[in-house]
Amino acid sequence: MISTTTDSPFADQNGHSHARESFFRKYLWTYDHKMIGLQYFWTALFFLFIGGALALAVRYQLAMPGSVVPVIGRFLPQTIAVDGAIIPGGYNMLVTMHATIMVFFVVMPILIGAFGNFLIPLQIGAGDMAFPLLNELSYWLYVVSGFVILGAFFAPGGAPGTGWTAYAPLSAVASYNGTQVGQSLWGIAIFINGLSSIAGATNYVTTIVNLRAPGMSMFRMPLTVWSLFVTAILLIFAVPVLSAAAAMLFADLNLGTSFFKPAEGGQPLLWQHLFWFFGHPEVYIMILPAMGLTSEIIPVFSRKPIFGYKAMVYAMMAIGGLGFVVWGHHMFVSGMNLTLSAAFSLSTMVIAVPSAIKTFNWLGTVWRGSLEFTTPMCFALAFVSMFVIGGLSGIFMASTPVDLFVHHTYFIVAHIHYVLFGGSIFSVFAAIYFWFPKMFGRMLNESLGKLHFLLTFIFFNLTFFPMHNLGLGGMMRRIADPMVYQHLRQLQPLNQICTIGAMGLGLTMFVFLWNVIYSLRKGPKAPANPWHANTLEWTVPSPPGHGNFEKTPTVYHGAYEYSVPGIVEDYLPQNVPAPEHARLESH
Amino acid sequence: MSTAVLTHESPSHSGASPATCKFGMIIFLLSEGMLFSGLIAGYFVLRWAAVGFPWQPGAAWPSDPSLPHLPVFLTSINTIFLVSSSFTFHFGEVAVQKGKSGLWWLALTILLGATFVGIQAVEWMHLYHEGLWFNKGGIYGSSFFVITGFHGLHVFIGVLLITWCFLRQLLTRCFTPQRHPALANVALYWHFVDVVWIFLFVLLYWI
Ligand code: HEM
Ligand SMILES: [Cu+2]
Repeated sequence: MISTTTDSPFADQNGHSHARESFFRKYLWTYDHKMIGLQYFWTALFFLFIGGALALAVRYQLAMPGSVVPVIGRFLPQTIAVDGAIIPGGYNMLVTMHATIMVFFVVMPILIGAFGNFLIPLQIGAGDMAFPLLNELSYWLYVVSGFVILGAFFAPGGAPGTGWTAYAPLSAVASYNGTQVGQSLWGIAIFINGLSSIAGATNYVTTIVNLRAPGMSMFRMPLTVWSLFVTAILLIFAVPVLSAAAAMLFADLNLGTSFFKPAEGGQPLLWQHLFWFFGHPEVYIMILPAMGLTSEIIPVFSRKPIFGYKAMVYAMMAIGGLGFVVWGHHMFVSGMNLTLSAAFSLSTMVIAVPSAIKTFNWLGTVWRGSLEFTTPMCFALAFVSMFVIGGLSGIFMASTPVDLFVHHTYFIVAHIHYVLFGGSIFSVFAAIYFWFPKMFGRMLNESLGKLHFLLTFIFFNLTFFPMHNLGLGGMMRRIADPMVYQHLRQLQPLNQICTIGAMGLGLTMFVFLWNVIYSLRKGPKAPANPWHANTLEWTVPSPPGHGNFEKTPTVYHGAYEYSVPGIVEDYLPQNVPAPEHARLESH
Repeated sequence: MSTAVLTHESPSHSGASPATCKFGMIIFLLSEGMLFSGLIAGYFVLRWAAVGFPWQPGAAWPSDPSLPHLPVFLTSINTIFLVSSSFTFHFGEVAVQKGKSGLWWLALTILLGATFVGIQAVEWMHLYHEGLWFNKGGIYGSSFFVITGFHGLHVFIGVLLITWCFLRQLLTRCFTPQRHPALANVALYWHFVDVVWIFLFVLLYWI
């Protein structure tokens, strides 16, 4: 019933065979969106390990302040650790680089760069992106910005240490931060990374609007594509503002301007406004694609249509739109006008409504489904539950009177990680287990996958749940040594529990890595449609050939027709017309 | 938005259609618009915090009267050059649509664009000698030079792009009445840079 299930990737439409493509043209400078997706995938995984190592160094210091960090300590530059023991200024560099790398070089590239590139053309039935050259350019801009940010470690004075938020005037005055070069490189990296994001986003929006296969109306698109569409629009509008701010910061540091220097008439608060005008949409940029990927996986393993498809789409639009008017909730203690602060509280709480709609719709999808607890499904369900915890702590912080007390404490750190690790990264893992067969033509090992899931889930909560208590107990963010504060000494055991969890998480990553390496070589060959899913990428071989589709497919209905009454099979791919008597969910 | 653009005959590797290219350019220009919005918003925050809203009494800008005045007259002339270059570019595009080469119009556009950049450089040098620079004149100098610098860079890139179109047309006559996406997109970009300048000119020099 599936139209194209040939095993060998077919030659592309231009007729010439690509069998003897050079290594350079195949892996380094390619115009094929699938290979570009894989380029993003491997680069982001590489950065995930760097960012993770930095986090482990941070955790080690908090549990055992001042002692020599095993293994990692030796690799840290002198500006961060002396003889393997972290110094206070170096601690700031570690947190700054950890967060910058995780946000701009791991989560965004893997969600948007890797899965966005791989899935958008396949799921809308197109042969490639609208602008393949721009696509490859955006990948290489990302790589260049990656070199710049890693270069900051070796800059005279060391890496930037002002946090991923780079608050002025600390970041803007060289004599305050002592890392003029490092901080400038941070600005350059953010700027180039922003160019990459804008190039990618332009491509995505154009592709989704213009290259859909016949019959693929907007409201038949898989939710993954919808989520990436909304995300790309957010990128277009939010990222340039950060680029402008980064350019001003660079000018302050190197050209003697005074945008953010109060001593010369500048405004440090301007930085906060510009940063968070970008920063809040940014957090949705990092969660919307995760929501989209999850929305794909949950119906497949519930064998049920997604609950409330249109509500899901409208909720994403609402989240995207509202995301631009809530940035003030990061600035409640900046001395802002109380009426304004109340308005930001309100708009922030309103955003919880579409978020809750999505959560209830996932629950509605699972409800009375015939669930299959495969590894991707486990991660997807964990995503939903962890996102609920993170969303709930968000509501607490949205209320000004509460935030005055928890701002800049570990409560915020707990929130961040429940939404970004428990949310975005869990869904990345779900997506890797789900689409790995399509990307590489091999199945990942289920037992190793389950082990990976179980350990990640346990250690994740062990690491980050106690941070709520630490924060409410008064532990500030970005302090190098909690033991110097009288009121934090009693909390030290909690800090040590967090660190044990973090090490567990770090080690668990090797289970995953082993699974990937082993399965790439020895995993069972993947059939075209191992999960019996409906979207178009499953109608072509695994991995798909050059040009994706032998013939542009025709789409007859939405992507979530599972267990349709009146059809023998419990799924109905989008390119297969439904029999007359079938009762479809979509039109 | 309901039906798709691809048909079964669409080859998957033939490159984007002119309409698709144009769409992509417009999306890109939206983000360029946000870049300048960020800069302009920053400018207003700094200025309002320093001297109050322009319509308030005593909101003279710059607050320090000893700072040099911007050469409004020279820049007005320069603005005329830039605005007319948008028209000459448009006439060039129309000429191409009529099957002519459009080379003269393009050359004129390059000349006008380059003149704009040149006069701006002269103006920068003049202000530098008068004592206004990135690091002189406080936030007044900072915002003026960073914003006009960003815009000037855009004009400069635009001149390079038009020159590239000009050379391609001169050497290969690649723009046909039916198909000239590169020319159309550079034109869009050029008009955008032009409109941004009109905003900047009013905000920085007049208000
Ligand atoms: C129901 C939804 C959410 C609400 C109500 C919410 C609310 C908030 C508030 C009020 C803050 C500021 C706290 C402070 O600094 O005092 C905050 C910080 C933060 N949120 Fe959320 N949030 C939500 C969802 C998310 C999501 C989905 C993400 C990302 C995927 C996210 C990422 C972050 C990050 C990274 C910060 C910390 C920024 C920093 O200071 O470094 N949030 N959130
Ligand atoms: Cu926020």
